[in-house]
Formats: sequence, structure tokens, C-alpha cells
Amino acid sequence: MKKNRLILIDCSEASRFCDKAEYREASFSERLKMRLHYLICESCKKYQTDNTRLSRLIEKAGIQTCTKDEKEGFRKKLQEESLRQFKEQQ
Amino acid sequence: METTVINPENWIDKYSDYLFNYTIVRVNDREVTNDLISETFLAALRSRKNFKGESTERTWLISILKRKIIDYYRKINSTKGQSEVKLTPRGDEEEGDWLEERVADASGSTAEDIIENRELGLAILDCLDQLNEKQAAIFKMKTIDGIDTDTICNEFNISPSNLWVIIHRARTTLAKCLEKNWF
Repeated sequence: MKKNRLILIDCSEASRFCDKAEYREASFSERLKMRLHYLICESCKKYQTDNTRLSRLIEKAGIQTCTKDEKEGFRKKLQEESLRQFKEQQ
Repeated sequence: METTVINPENWIDKYSDYLFNYTIVRVNDREVTNDLISETFLAALRSRKNFKGESTERTWLISILKRKIIDYYRKINSTKGQSEVKLTPRGDEEEGDWLEERVADASGSTAEDIIENRELGLAILDCLDQLNEKQAAIFKMKTIDGIDTDTICNEFNISPSNLWVIIHRARTTLAKCLEKNWF
């Protein structure tokens, strides 16, 4: 049984390897174990299909994020304005 | 009926990225986008008494932002002296349509693609609202900004296995949320 453990993995491990693979961070042995698991597990195979589709959707959407500096800029202005309002009320 | 309470403290972390993506595709300039977002936050702060809590905070911020974007277009049209470009805003719904006509065409993709991808981006950010702020931030850093695992783990003081649990939760939440309209 201990020997099997090296090759056979459970679903939670398979999905973790699958997630890592989406970011190209799964090792060769992780990918191998994952593929073997898919041979015996339909639901994990489906998870992989959906997961890959999700990666493609995210890439296609071309989302951009604000940088930390940009967010700090917003924060500073907002704080200045609340301070100004606060003083006005006094 | 439950009304929404506004909370300016959280605006920046919660809505900046959404407002940014909404604006950048419409004005195509990062600096202008940031100015418009700042102005939106300030205007919202000044007029927060008008927020009746009937819509969500984000919808309310977007309605302010829409006006800021329209004002911006008016301004650039008048400085260019192109007074023949007549603007006839006819209420909130149609202002959006008018702006969509003004988006520059990117090579290689059709107008339908651009509009669809823009909506997809906002839908994804919308779905990320279902996660808590830390989880959403980690997911965005990893997936959108492509920052490596170690850097994120250090920044948030979590282990790699914590990170993968969060990523997994985010991905299953997103897939479920997007399933109906996009899968």
C-alpha cells in the first residue's frame, strides 16, 4: 500500500497539482501522477477541463490591475478630502 | 428592505480594479483613467449623503464614474474645437452606448470581440467579490499579475500550501460564478 501511495494520489492532491499545472508550477512527477489519476477519476478530469477553460477566459479578458502606487494615490486624495470635510464641519 | 451602508475606507481595495478596467477601455490612457477614478472617489465622498442604499456601492460609484467619463469627452471635444460633435445624453442607459461607439479599434480583433472581452473582464472581477479581500488580492496577484509563489507567500506571510488552497477556492468559485454566462 505504501508503494501505491507514491503513484496513486487522492482527488484533493490531484486538484492541487492541476491548479499548479495551470500556472506551470507542477513538477514532472506531479503531472504524471495527475494524469494517472485522471484515468480512474472522471470528476477530476472534468475539473481539469473546466480549469483550463477558466485560464483561457481570464487570459482573454485582459484584465488590468492598479499598481500599489496608484492605489496609494487614490487613498491619499480620499484621506485629504475626508480631513477637509471634517474640518469644515467643526 | 435591507439597505447598503457605504464605507469609504474600503473603496480603494474593493473597487479600484473594477473601476480601472471599466475606464481604461473607454479612455485608453492610464493617466487619464487614474485621474477619473480619483475624481470619482472624491465626488462620491462629497455626495455620500445622496446614496440611498438602493443599489450596491459599486453600481453607485460606476454611475458617478460614467458622468466623469462623459465630462472628459466633452472637454477633449471642446479643446479640439470639434464643436460639431454633438453630445445628447439621454439618461444613464444610453450614455453607455454612446461611449462604446467611441472606443478605438484594436487590430486583429473585431468590435464584438472587444466588447465581449471587456464584459468578461468585468464579470470576472465581479465574481471575485464573492471571495474575501485577502483571497481576491492573492488570486489577482498570482493569476493576473503573474507574480511568483514565493513573493506572494512572503508578502502575505503564508505557506505555499496555504496559497494553493486559496487559489483552488478562488478558481472553483470563479468557475461556478462564470458557468452560466461564459463557460
